[in-house]
Amino acid sequence: MSSMSGDRGTELRQIFYESAQEILQSLNEEALTLEKHPEDLEALRSLRRAVHTLKGDAAACGYKELTSLAHQFEDVLTGEDLTRSATIVETALTAADVFSEMIEAHHNETRVPTGEPLRKLIAQLGSAGPAKTAGKKTAGKATSHKRSSGAKKSIATTVSQKSVAAKCSPRTKSAVVKTKVVKTKVARAEIETIPGWTEYECLSIETASQKSVPVQHVTLGLDPNCVMPEAALQIVRNILGKMGEILAFSPAEARHLSVAGDIEAAVATRETPDTLTQKCRVPGIIAKIKVATLASLRSATTAAAEAPAVEYEAEKARTQQRAEENSRPATAENLLRVDSERIDTVLNLVGELIIGRSMFQQTLLEFGKRFPKDPLRARFSDAFAFQSRVLSDLQRSVMKIRMVPVENLFRRFPRLVRDTARICNRNVELVLAGQETDLDKGILDALAEPVSHLVRNAISHGFESAEERQRAGKPETGTLRLAAYHQGNQVVIELSDDGRGIDSTAIRNKAVAQGLIHSDEAQRMTETELFKLIFLPGFSTAEQITEISGRGVGLDVVQNVLQRLKGSVNVESTPGRGTTFRLRLPLTLAIIKAILFRVEHRLYAVPLNAVAEMTRIHQSDVHLVDGHEVLQLRKEVLTLVRLGRPAETTGESKLFVLVVSHAGQKLGLVVDELAGQEELVIKALDTNLLSSDLISGVSILGDGRVVLILNLAAVAERRSRVRNELGTAPWGLLLPLAEARQFQELSTQDRPPQDLQNSIGAAAEGEL
Amino acid sequence: MEQFAPLRRKKDGQPVRYLVVDDSVFARKNLGKMIETFGGQVAGEAADGCAAITEYERALPDLVLMDITMPLMEGIEAAEKILQKHSDARIVMVSSVGYQENIVAALQRGARHFVQKPVKADVLYEVVKYVMGDDAVVAAIADGAHA
Repeated sequence: MSSMSGDRGTELRQIFYESAQEILQSLNEEALTLEKHPEDLEALRSLRRAVHTLKGDAAACGYKELTSLAHQFEDVLTGEDLTRSATIVETALTAADVFSEMIEAHHNETRVPTGEPLRKLIAQLGSAGPAKTAGKKTAGKATSHKRSSGAKKSIATTVSQKSVAAKCSPRTKSAVVKTKVVKTKVARAEIETIPGWTEYECLSIETASQKSVPVQHVTLGLDPNCVMPEAALQIVRNILGKMGEILAFSPAEARHLSVAGDIEAAVATRETPDTLTQKCRVPGIIAKIKVATLASLRSATTAAAEAPAVEYEAEKARTQQRAEENSRPATAENLLRVDSERIDTVLNLVGELIIGRSMFQQTLLEFGKRFPKDPLRARFSDAFAFQSRVLSDLQRSVMKIRMVPVENLFRRFPRLVRDTARICNRNVELVLAGQETDLDKGILDALAEPVSHLVRNAISHGFESAEERQRAGKPETGTLRLAAYHQGNQVVIELSDDGRGIDSTAIRNKAVAQGLIHSDEAQRMTETELFKLIFLPGFSTAEQITEISGRGVGLDVVQNVLQRLKGSVNVESTPGRGTTFRLRLPLTLAIIKAILFRVEHRLYAVPLNAVAEMTRIHQSDVHLVDGHEVLQLRKEVLTLVRLGRPAETTGESKLFVLVVSHAGQKLGLVVDELAGQEELVIKALDTNLLSSDLISGVSILGDGRVVLILNLAAVAERRSRVRNELGTAPWGLLLPLAEARQFQELSTQDRPPQDLQNSIGAAAEGEL
Repeated sequence: MEQFAPLRRKKDGQPVRYLVVDDSVFARKNLGKMIETFGGQVAGEAADGCAAITEYERALPDLVLMDITMPLMEGIEAAEKILQKHSDARIVMVSSVGYQENIVAALQRGARHFVQKPVKADVLYEVVKYVMGDDAVVAAIADGAHA
């Protein structure tokens, strides 16, 4: 299909590109399975199937290099010899990489790599295989010579057999095959002129021709372009067999075809020569047909010459310029590949609808207050209830479209673990769990890099060497566990190893040495707080790799991505027992349930899933410890963060405290007033509109009021920074925002919600 | 893309209905496109041998394009199973050169023909025409098609 052109070609290539990724993935997976279970015949078969499919697809796209490489590889994989599993695995993994590069190059229309190293590997694999069918590799055509019994024959045997076959006349050869049925030598002299027919066959013809059924002598010339003569012969046999009884057929096997030339067959049939001719017109296989009725065996040769012969030339390939791309839509498939942007648009509209619902609800409430007795009110309520139920369903369905199982992310790790473990000379077993957990596709894609990073880190620095593990009384092979599960409205991805763990003392020393924390501060820090330090950008330098077991190398990148995704990461570690990284992610980024509260008359929100509890305390419950306001909440000591002004009042006043947990840490947010719970549609905010990392997004309520969504990660981070730097109680984090009065005023009820950006923009201009 | 004279079923003049069996999405799409240019209709698709059998029962296509190497059940077995129940099933094996023995095996079990991968549209068209035999007629080029 080298002539593939235009839209159709592009479209097919795109499909190829996408489907090839899946094939490569399964190639990787099967190779790894085979590595684990070298005796797994099914894995080997699946591996071959993957290569085979790739070959077929690549060929249809006209990617010659890829096709030929895959073809060679597939060839050496033929046979069910499991002794070479290790080499096969190595080659297959290299192949997956090389194929991937080539496909990528084709896709980007850059220069396609030659894949020479892979070619060598394949060649080695081919020659390493004990008693492989060498003929098969040296010449593509030779495949046809391979018989099932010949599969295990050595090179020498195959070659000698071939030469024997070449020397032998096909007649003798088939005679040998059919010796057991040769009983008589009647009429041998007469049929000598028809090559390839055995005595037995001649006898059959003789017998048949004495009956009333006419015998047709069919001579067929194979299409020289036919690459599968064996299959061609079988087709001819099938056709003739349907017409009548095949009395003689030569050659018996395709390997004699080149010597014998045409196919000679005798068929006892009541069909006319014309019908026979027509039936034998097999496109792509038969190029020449001659049918003659055998009066009797004696006249066989002459009859063939005299009878009106019908010649048939196989139809040649049609001209290229026939018709343009046909415009009918593609065949219906159950799977639809859609640009994720389109789904985002729908999701966005659903978001607007949800805002609309809030507006409706507000109005309805007001209506109810004003006309409590109006019968219309109940009907409004019913209509509204129905509407919101459908809307919820709609929202869920749209969300579901974006959801993909975590498996899509996890499946790449077996290979990564294997390669990294090999480089680092570690024995690591990867255990996956919870692959079926669904997560927003956008989030999942963004997670690939950080999770890979953590996996590599865990293997290269987390695990001890085999000897060290033995000394510590642990199994030689380390276990790396990657699990995903739902927790409330979040998805947790957990990566745990049973390695040496993180040495908190080393972190402490390093952090003090780098001036990140005061030494006395360092002594007071809990282990969790210390572990948090490894995510700081400045914390990783080359020399630390040894000192702190290597953790911290580029971990700030992980942190950054997680923050962008409105998730969090925390780490737990027990020296000598292992380390666990826990990534928490929101199910989706677009719509959240949130608790609303007010600080300095301004409305804010925090995601509901971050709120552990809400409580009301007396000012007198607040204690000052080391310059921080803390609260004894049952048995826990909670650090308080005042978002508004510091407390000036006496111990009699009451405070609202929102207990939020972020990255495994709990904080008490002191707020002025709680304002209820809402479903918020998060809108992204341009940084030039509002430049504070304390706000992660913004939303709009049904009555048109703007809500700022608090970025808990930043609040937590700010809190520790303030404490570390100044040693003073943090307060008034949100005051600068609250002072932008216009903000609130601008976004009044008469403004449609769509104008959100404008109102904020105007507010921000006033502020800046 | 080449346009072929549409092949119609002789009995009712409807498009020839195909079942496309291949574990590669790509190959199925590719064959599907070719079938369209033959004026045919994809009555069903299957990605493995087991699905092929169920799909055959459901769609009862005029012609099956069957890949050989597939997961769960290979093409030969699927072809054999289909033919056991529907001896008149028209099955065309689609496979690469390296699988000649398998094709021969399939042909011995009653498959009608084979085409070689990568499939060329003109070759497939001829094969289909041949396998359909008297049960298909070549219709005039459809109005909508570009000449």
